[in-house]
Amino acid sequence: MKRTNLKTNDLILQTVVKVVFFIIFIYSVYIFFAGHYTPGGGFVGGLMTSSAIVLLLLAYDVKTVAAVIPFNFLKIAATGLLLALGTGMASFFYKVPFLTHAHGPVHLPFFGEVELASATAFDLGVYLVVVGVTMTIIQTIGETE
Amino acid sequence: MAFQVLLNFFIAFMWMFLQNTYTLGTFAVGFFFGLLMIFGMRRFFSSRFYFLNVLAVLTLLMIFIKELIKANLSVLQIILTPKMKMTPGIFAYQTELKKDWEITVLSNLITLTPGTLVVEVSADNQTLYIHAMDIGSAEEAKKDIRDSFEKAIKEVSR
Repeated sequence: MKRTNLKTNDLILQTVVKVVFFIIFIYSVYIFFAGHYTPGGGFVGGLMTSSAIVLLLLAYDVKTVAAVIPFNFLKIAATGLLLALGTGMASFFYKVPFLTHAHGPVHLPFFGEVELASATAFDLGVYLVVVGVTMTIIQTIGETE
Repeated sequence: MAFQVLLNFFIAFMWMFLQNTYTLGTFAVGFFFGLLMIFGMRRFFSSRFYFLNVLAVLTLLMIFIKELIKANLSVLQIILTPKMKMTPGIFAYQTELKKDWEITVLSNLITLTPGTLVVEVSADNQTLYIHAMDIGSAEEAKKDIRDSFEKAIKEVSR
């Protein structure tokens, strides 16, 4: 096949991706929160969020996506690690071993009685690390010519 | 259009606050009264009465389902026919639609119809290149698309 300088018109792909991105993203958030009692959790949620961003990268070019999502993904991975570590360190304040997780019903204004667990914060750390690492790998490979 | 929908919701919420009962039933009653009010004041707005747009979307959905069933039955017929008597080809179709989502919906509907498939959208978004299973019926296919899909999509975004 001969390469031409004509850019193909990705109109249909881009329009569909604009809608599908949000569906994948909200599903990944659902999977993340479902992880406590049903299958799911930080790792799968993080991978699905990354896949939504990869879909954007396929439909648009790297520069556009970097302008839309102006995060340094290495810093996101570092933040996730710090969050997971901090959740583990928090147990020292209550004189219990490292990484002991507290859970129980908490009374919040407006929401009423909600069952909260500190494991969710740890999972959020895992989520951020997975998103950061996956996106860093893909962007580094994508930018090298 | 969007303003009328928001206004309708606002009236429904007002109704709930006035009744001081916050249930789905009260909301539905308020919504109905709001719809009647907006219908009465329909000449007051710049765009047309929004319920017509809702009906147009439903019409488009019905067309979509009908075409899906028809397309699959015709493909079944083609697969089970022993001899193939057609000449495939690609023809250009000039569309009058302007917005991105309109062209996308039109392309997807064309792809679902029996015997036609969108291959490429031109750089200025005004020409669709369509692969037809039988190029002999290209003119007929053009007329079909113009009469059914394009009209229905225009009806939605009017």
